[in-house]
Order: sequence, then C-alpha cells, then structure tokens
Amino acid sequence: MRTFAFSAAENVDQAIIACESNNAEASYIAGGTTLIDLVKLDVMRPERVIDLNRLPLKEVERLDDGRLRIGALVSNTDLAHHPLVTQHYPLLSQALLAGASTQLRNMATTAGNIMQRTRCPYFRDVAAACNKRDPGSGCDALGGINRMHALLGTSEHCIATHPSDMCVAMAALGATLALEGPNGVREIAFGDFHRLPMDRPDLEHELEPNELITHITLDTPVVGGGSHYLKLRDRASYEFALASAAVVVAVEDGVIRDARLALGGVATKPWQAMEAEQALTGQPAKTESFEKAAEIALADALPREHNAFKVPLARQAILRALEKATQAAMNS
Amino acid sequence: MDTQVIGHRTPRVDGEFKLTGQADYTVDWQVRDMLYGYPVPASIAHGTLKTLHLDTARAMPGVVDIFHHGHFPELYRASKSQVSEMRLPFEDERIHYDGQYIALVVAESFEQARAAAHAVQADYDQEDGARTSLLDTDKEGQLLESEGVSRGDPEKAFDKAPVTIDHTYDIAAESHMQMEMHATLAEWRDERLIVHESSQGVVYQHKAMARIFGLPEESVEVVSHYIGSGFGNKLFMWPHAVATAGAAQMLGRPVKTILPRQQDMESGGNRPASRQRLRLGAKQDGTLLSIRHDSTTETSFVHPYVDSLGSATPSLYACDNVAISQRLLEVNHGTPCPMRAPGETSGIHALETALDELAVELGMDPLELRRRNYAKNDPASGLPWSSKHLDDCYTNAAKRFGWEKRNPTPGAMRDGDEIIGWGMATACWPAMRLSCSARVELRDDGSVMAACGTQDIGTGTYTIVAQTVAELSGVSLKDIEVRLGESTLPAGPLSGGSMVTATALPAVAAALRNAFDALKKVATGENGAFEGSDPDNLEIEAGALVDKQGKRVSFGEILSQQKLGSVSGEGQAAPGDEKNQYSFRSFGAHFVEVRWDPGISRLRVARVVSSIDIGRAINPSTARNQVEGSIVMGIGMALTEKLDYDPRDGRLINNNYADYIVPCHADMPEIDVELPDNPDYILNEFGARGVGEIGLTGIAAAIGNAVYHATGKRIREFPITLEKVMDI
Amino acid sequence: MNMKEYSTQTKAVETDTTVTLTVNGEPRQLRVPPNVGLLDALRDRLGLTGTKKGCDHGQCGACTVHLDGQAINSCLMLAVMCEGHEVTTVEGLASDAGLHPVQQAFLENDAYQCGFCTPGQMMSASALLEDDRIGTDDAAVREAMSGNICRCGAYKNILAAIQTAREQMQDAQTKGKTS
Repeated sequence: MRTFAFSAAENVDQAIIACESNNAEASYIAGGTTLIDLVKLDVMRPERVIDLNRLPLKEVERLDDGRLRIGALVSNTDLAHHPLVTQHYPLLSQALLAGASTQLRNMATTAGNIMQRTRCPYFRDVAAACNKRDPGSGCDALGGINRMHALLGTSEHCIATHPSDMCVAMAALGATLALEGPNGVREIAFGDFHRLPMDRPDLEHELEPNELITHITLDTPVVGGGSHYLKLRDRASYEFALASAAVVVAVEDGVIRDARLALGGVATKPWQAMEAEQALTGQPAKTESFEKAAEIALADALPREHNAFKVPLARQAILRALEKATQAAMNS
Repeated sequence: MDTQVIGHRTPRVDGEFKLTGQADYTVDWQVRDMLYGYPVPASIAHGTLKTLHLDTARAMPGVVDIFHHGHFPELYRASKSQVSEMRLPFEDERIHYDGQYIALVVAESFEQARAAAHAVQADYDQEDGARTSLLDTDKEGQLLESEGVSRGDPEKAFDKAPVTIDHTYDIAAESHMQMEMHATLAEWRDERLIVHESSQGVVYQHKAMARIFGLPEESVEVVSHYIGSGFGNKLFMWPHAVATAGAAQMLGRPVKTILPRQQDMESGGNRPASRQRLRLGAKQDGTLLSIRHDSTTETSFVHPYVDSLGSATPSLYACDNVAISQRLLEVNHGTPCPMRAPGETSGIHALETALDELAVELGMDPLELRRRNYAKNDPASGLPWSSKHLDDCYTNAAKRFGWEKRNPTPGAMRDGDEIIGWGMATACWPAMRLSCSARVELRDDGSVMAACGTQDIGTGTYTIVAQTVAELSGVSLKDIEVRLGESTLPAGPLSGGSMVTATALPAVAAALRNAFDALKKVATGENGAFEGSDPDNLEIEAGALVDKQGKRVSFGEILSQQKLGSVSGEGQAAPGDEKNQYSFRSFGAHFVEVRWDPGISRLRVARVVSSIDIGRAINPSTARNQVEGSIVMGIGMALTEKLDYDPRDGRLINNNYADYIVPCHADMPEIDVELPDNPDYILNEFGARGVGEIGLTGIAAAIGNAVYHATGKRIREFPITLEKVMDI
Repeated sequence: MNMKEYSTQTKAVETDTTVTLTVNGEPRQLRVPPNVGLLDALRDRLGLTGTKKGCDHGQCGACTVHLDGQAINSCLMLAVMCEGHEVTTVEGLASDAGLHPVQQAFLENDAYQCGFCTPGQMMSASALLEDDRIGTDDAAVREAMSGNICRCGAYKNILAAIQTAREQMQDAQTKGKTS
C-alpha cells in the first residue's frame, strides 16, 4: 500500500471540493472494502483519499410516491435488515445477504457496492495485461483462466464480471441514482449507470470526476409480486456468484402480469434481461414460458474456453428463480 | 491401562492463552529495534532476472536496505532433507517459478517496507516453454527406482483376471492455506542467531540454519511456541527465513518478515498435482488378483520433492500381485512439500476410487468388496499388524450411517429436488514413532514442568503432554507447565507424520520417572522426608511420595525441606525391536452422503460418518477435532480446491483466500466421528497411534464415490467442480 | 554496518495523522501515516497482537474486531478512519469477572485447534449473539459465521460453542431479571 494523503469530509460539498481542489489522483472511501483491498495490491494508487463516512447519507426513507430512497452510506447489513426493505423489497434483502460476509456487509455501503470493482484475477494482478487497469495493455483473461468470467456484455477488450449481488437485485427492481458534483445534482437510471466495457473497459460507469453518488431510489415495488434471488456458486457462502438470477413476478390468474429479471455473475455489468422480461409478460406462469425467457436472456451469451458451463448454469438459475418467485407470488 | 487423565476429555491447557489473544505466535513477536522485511516476488515463472530498478524504492521513507542477488551474504546450502527448498535466496538470477524472491526490502515499518516493495521494478528475459503443470503436459517425468515396489506377477495376473478396470485419476495441486502465513523474526545477538519461526520443526530448522550460516549448532536457537497451523508446509524451512536471517546479519538489527498471503501460496509450499493410473484385476467374487498403481507427481526445478503416492497401496488390501511405480516431473511452480497425509492422501484417493469402480463393474457393494480383500497381516511385509480393527470400523460406521438402506442404482435415492448419493472409502496412515528426548522438573511449589523440543501446531500436544504428566504424577493439570517449541529443549520430533504422540509421550514419561528417582533420592537422603527408606518402597500418588506405612509427603514439601528449588530428570525413548516384528498402521472408514440438485447444479456434502481407529486417544476431544477438521479439509479437496496456474506462463492466478476456495462454515456437513478405543500397546506404553492425518485419507474418494452414486458420473479429475457433473 | 548507522533513519512521513479512538474501553492515541490499516495499527503500534492477519484482504476473517459494536474486517479499515470510534479486540472480550461466555464456550467445546483464526471467530460470534437481526438456528449461525475461515476445520465445535454461549447468556439474562 503506497502512501497517500487523507482527509475526512463533513458534508457533500466538502467532499466534492476536497476531490476537486487537488490535482492528484483522488479516491473517495466509504466502507473501504474495495479500495483498501486494491490499494494493497497496488492496483489502485490514489494519491489522495477522502473519507465520506461523516456525510449525512445514512437514512432509508419511503418517498410520498412510494419509492424508497436509500442514502449512499447505508451499510449493506442495515439495508438488508431495514424493515422497509424486508417488507417491500425482499429481493434486495436476499441479494444483499447472499453477498460477501457479515463483516464485509457491516462495512460496505450501498453506493460502494455499486462502485465495487471486478474480481477478475488478471485485473487484480499488476503484472498481467488488463485493459481495465492499464488501458491498451491487452486482456490476459481472454485466453487465460476465465472460468469466472462473463458471457454477456463482453468485448474483445474485457470479459470481467461485475461482482455485486445487490446490484443484480437493483437492476431487477429498477432504481435511480442521485449524483452530486461540481456542476450540481443530477439523476441517472440505475441501468444506465454502469457502462459496457466495449473498447474502454477502464471507464466503468457514468460518474464524472469529482462526482459522487448520494442516494439510490428504488422504483415503487411491484404490486402483488413474488420475488427470488438465487445465487449459484462453488461453496455454500462467502463467494462470488458463478451465476445468479434476481426475479420479481406478479401473477394474475396464472398469467404473468409483470416480470423483472436480472442476472449476476455472468455479465460485465448488473444485467437486466429486458427482452426476457417482455417475453414473460402476458405468458402463463409455467415452465415453458420460463424456458423461453431463459433462452432469450442468454441468446447473446458468448462463452470462452473455461466458462461455457455458465450458459446452462445461468439458465438453471433463471428457471429456478422464476419458479420460486412465481410460487411466492401465488402464495402472497 | 486404567487411566485417570489419559483417555479423558479435558480442555486444552493452552486454551486460555489462545482464547484471550495472549498466545505468542511468531507473527506477534516484536523486539527492540526490529525492522520489517517484505519480499519482492518474481512475476514470471521461467527466465532470467535482467535488471532490478531499486532507486525509487531505496529513496522511500523508512527504507533501510534492499537485498538481492549480488547484495546478500554468501551462504552454504543445506541438504535436501533439511529444508523445503535447497536453492538459497538470491543465489543467482535464474527464475524458476512465479513468486520466487528477487529482492527483500527492509524498512522501519511494515507499511514502508510494503510500499517500497511495490515500487521495485524488474526487467526479465522471459523464456517460452514454461512447464506449467503435470496435468497440462504429455511429459512423463523421471522414473524413481527407489519408489518402486513389486510382488508376484501383477501384469500376468491382470491379463488373466476375469474382471479388470484401468483408469487414470488426476488431482489438482492444492494449497495448505494455513491461517498463519510463513513468518520469521531473526535476531543476531553476540554471534548467536535467534530465530522465531512459525515452524513444525524447531530442532530441524536450527540445524539447517547452523549449516547455512556456517555456525556451530549451539549458536542457533529457533523458537515456535504457537503455530497458526502448518499442515506440512512448515516442517522444513523456506528461503524467506534465510533471506530474513541474512538481512538481519548484514544490518545488525532484528528483522521480521511475514509473507503476504499471495507469496505464501506462490512460494511457501503446495501439495503437488498428481496423475495416477490404477489397474485392478479381480475374480468375479471380488477377490483382488492384481493391483498396479503408477503415479506421477510434480516438483519444482530447484528442489526434488517426492510425494510418495503408492506407499499405502501394497499394505491396504490382501493381494498377491502388486506393483507400484512413481515418476517425478519438474514444473515451473513453487516447490511442493508434504501436505497433511502427504502422498497417501492422493494415493489412497486413487485406489479407493478405483475400488469403487471395480465394485460397480462387479455389481458388488463397495463395502463388501473391501471386506472381501481384508488384509489380516501386512501384505507388504508379511508381518502381523500391531493392532488392526478396520473390520469394526466398517461395521460401526456403516451402521451409524445406515448403509444397509443404500439403493445401489445411481440416482435412485431422491429427496425433493435433490438426488442423494452415498459413498464410502477406507482411511489409512502409518503409525510412526521416532526417538525422542524430554526433560521434567519437579518444583518446590508442587508444580511440574515438562519440556520437549517438539511443537503444538494445534493438534493438542501441550495438552497431551500435560495429561501424561498428570496421569503418572497425580499432579493436577493446572499445576503442570509444558514447554515446547524451542530448539534448546531436549530434541523432539517434527510435528508431522502423526507421530508426535507416540514419539514424545514415552520420552516425557521416561524423563518424569527419572525425576521421580531423583526426588526419591532426595527424600531418602540425609534429612530427607523418608530418610533411610529404600527408594523402591516409595510410590507416587497424587503429587506425593507414599511409603508402605502410608506416610505421605508432597513433592513440594520434600524439596522445600531440603532447600531445593527443584529436581529434574532427562529421559529418552525410542522404538525397539517391535519395529521388526510388527507393521504399524492406523485404519478407518468414511461414509459420505452428498446432495445433488441437478436443476441448479448444486453439489454439497450433507453428512459424513467416520470410524477411525487411532489406538488410544490421549484426549478424545482434541483427537476427534482433528478428524472432523480433516473431513472439512477433504471436502475442499473433493469439491473446490485447486491451484490455478495459467497454462500459458505458469503464473499462479488464484493466490488468495477468495479465489482458492476452502470450505467455510456453511459448507460443514453433519459430522459423526467415532474413535473406537483399541489401545496399541505394542507401539508405545500409552497405546496411542496419532491422529492428525488419517482423517484426510479416503475422504475425497468417499465423496467422489457418493457423487457417482448420485449422478452416475465418474469424475476422475479432482476437484469435482460443478461443471464436471452438471447435466448439459 | 552497525546498529547506530541505521537507528537514525526513521523518518516521519509528512502526512502522519493523529487519531484518537477508544480501544477496549481505553482512550488511545495513534500517530500514523494514512496508509496504516487498523489491523496493523492494533498489532504493530498498540501491541494488541491477539487480532490476527490471515489474508489482509477481507477474505478470511482472522482480523475481525468490533467497530462500535459491529464485526468488521480490521484489515480493510484505515486507522485514520477510526477517529472517535470504539474498537474492541479479543483482548477486550474477557472482563474482570472472567472469560466472556463465548470464550468459555470455545474452551469447553474445543472450538479451535491452532487458535489463529479463533480471535476472529469469537469476535464474530460475540457480535452475532448480540444482533437480533441474525437468526438463532444452526443454519443462520453457520451462514453468519461464514466470513471466518477455519482451515483446521473446527466448524462443528465452533457452532456448538456459539449455541452453548447463547444459552449461557440467556440464562444469565434471565437470572439477572429475576434477581
């Protein structure tokens, strides 16, 4: 871990100014679970670190329009157990609790989870070629050990997955991010926040320099929906997903009225399977519909040498999650 | 032997130290003026170091020096049996594996050393053709004549056998992943080298250090009071210890180096990958006619480590025609080393999997096949076993497991979404004993101190030594101090091979008896509590001497009365001629239930029932804990653990706890371990055979056999990651 | 080369920062550069070596401490971020009254072997026993404890110890109420 300057911001303005007023490469820190990890590996080399933990962004509140506004600094643990979340967005709670460990969830924040970096081992190894870490250097994962890597949203420059579970639930639930920076406040849809790697995998999101996420506002919950988050992995806990599926379905008279489907562990960003969602809507809540949706969701999957199994595995995650969510919807 | 303390559960005598954070592990040691070392690892696996750019790092705050080839003391090499890696650090500029040290940064603080190490840049001449894994090459490796065993005519017997199987089994390289990373604190005091090392063998390391630094052995001291486990990779010293001691020598200040986890995994030992061909021939009734077990394992280019895979095979089952061969292939990996039940964990895995395949071929229950070939004597030597109750282990474990309810058809047992698979395998590990010394001191405050130059790596050695002293002296455990983990103590064994119990306790007992004799001499001497009595008429009872008239004087009083602080006894113990009369092995059986949910390709071990005969368990709770822990480790070996070396350049990709997947709490199955109490008094007076390793043998095979029973798929490449079994 | 030549070389980094925090109930002050982790600060600078480093990346749980009562990985926390916070380490678990119920239960259930992951296991265990958001059944405990790797594999006994400690703490609470 190289040296850096450190300051703690008391409010959002201070944080932005602290970041802006310094030409050095600056990083915000909240939970620290990504930044400290990567600074120790020399993958991230901030010259200035600005602590955000004193910012008043720790509230979870229901807005008048029924949406849920989450402060950027709400910990993953507090969010997972918040009564408004467990009651209205059990999918989010389930996804959060499927991620990381108790300790990491206690530290990690909601915005930090959105900002977490990939677990690609070549990204995490400064001696390897990685276009995300070192633009233009190449991608050692393409021809390397890529069992954990992505099927969807990849490019010839990067096949790294976005590792979050929480974000997969958010992609399914729909959300808006509030960003604040030197030029003021703006909003962006959750689905538009993370970028596809394309030819610039180092540009991971739409945050401008010096901007920070202040809030995440979840769309109004799906009325009468059942949900399920299913995470498939090698061991039973404390591991990133090989494939995960986040599903919300509302079923009326055996017919799917509304469907939300997002995938994790298989894509370069939290992956909302929009075409599959559309294909489900209006269809009978039956295996045939689920199979069709899975097929559509994975139609563009591009497997590599070691991750071809993720195509059927993701399919299985989708089918089982849809079954469980449908059962939950029908029982609700 | 009717015992009061031995054979009974008791909390660890070092428990409070461990539970309050007071236990002094090597990484915890700090001494005055101490500097921090941080190695710089090579980032290629095959080539030459061309240039090191050190200027930036040298100018960084707190940096004291940076050691590398050309700037390090000239040292001597140790022999290959003394160290894990013969090559000395910075010996030349050749790079043999990813993670090999190219420099050691020494700085005033840990943070400064780490920052500077990251600032060191290196240029290499990287060469093509890195040999990246035994499992990625067609190369056969060198045949090791010394490892070959043959009896009968296995080839002919195989050719004539009515039922045969011939399969090849691969096991990926594994990492020990001991929680405390390799660490050394080296300090030179008046030409003496004092080393704190997380070590499974302080006496061995002290000899190796003396040789490498050209010092008399008495000028080197190695200390290892508490060890954050080792599982074999701390048996023999690694180059980081030499680099640290060399740096401390040149700087005249103590240096502490704790390997970061990444480097620990790259250069601190591994269980080598293996490829094994098993050819079995049998009669229709299951009688084995021929066993051929041909293995290849890896080693590095800098040290010839042989993981002897076939060593259990000639002894495990009755069979007249057996042949074992082993090859060794050098690869561009960090040097492998023993890992818990080395050799036999891999070898028994292949044999027990092959037997399951043979049982399927024969249409026979796999347990019945093993009973059919039960070895009443050691078929390798022809000698009787010192004690063998494997048949009871089979019977008891099968009963506790419910094996009789097994439907042999694969996939036939279901529970909701899940398919249940049941498998079993035999466990086996040699019962070894070496010579050993110990010292015991009886003190005037009534306490007893027992000392031996062995270690407690978490197996419970402190506790069982105390139990032995308590048993023989009648002194309560709280008044017994045990000192281990110092090379200046009477020479004790490596904490390896599951031999400490059988080796050290008889030495402690001998020392204690000598101390009793010394005490009796004091007691019967002039002004003694039993002045003029015949020492032979004095008995030891509850921390006191008692004569035939019932007069009782405590140890402490006897000493105080004579104004003596203590008396002590040195003792030695060694195996005798029984070594030539018997074969010594422990045996056991594992029964495993896996749950396979084919709809989501989820494979989990749900239940393990094991019966492991280790003779007498000195402490049943710590002994059972060892077996339970082995089962957990075996689940990792079976399902997830695999060192991923990039086949393009031999670099280790998953050099951390997140990407190298060991079992976590949620992976723990229901575990039921029986330790039948069959003391083996031929091996030693306490009847104990050791327990650290046997539990790991056979468990991965039992899991694989259960997976076959669940899925109908025989996976011969371990670990069984889900893509190997999923329905695609 | 001798000791004197080097003893003067310790240089303060310009950005050294003073941090005031409470450790095991005692106010402590640290003067550290910002790149010092809480784990290393506890171990190297405060001499509290009970907290262990197993991976330094939040992947094993050996470094678990309580920060304001919650279990965290101290290896992923900067010391300078702890200004004004309360840290509890394994050294602060026992009280004058003796071992914490979790420590006592670990002792009695032999819930460890080498003992190196044990401080982290106990810090997680003691936090989860105080956290009513975490379920009390075995499966919930195993899941909540999964951030603490035990390579010795003492998971069965650790689970037993946690459930034993839970009972003891509940008994003590009941007694406290009735007395």
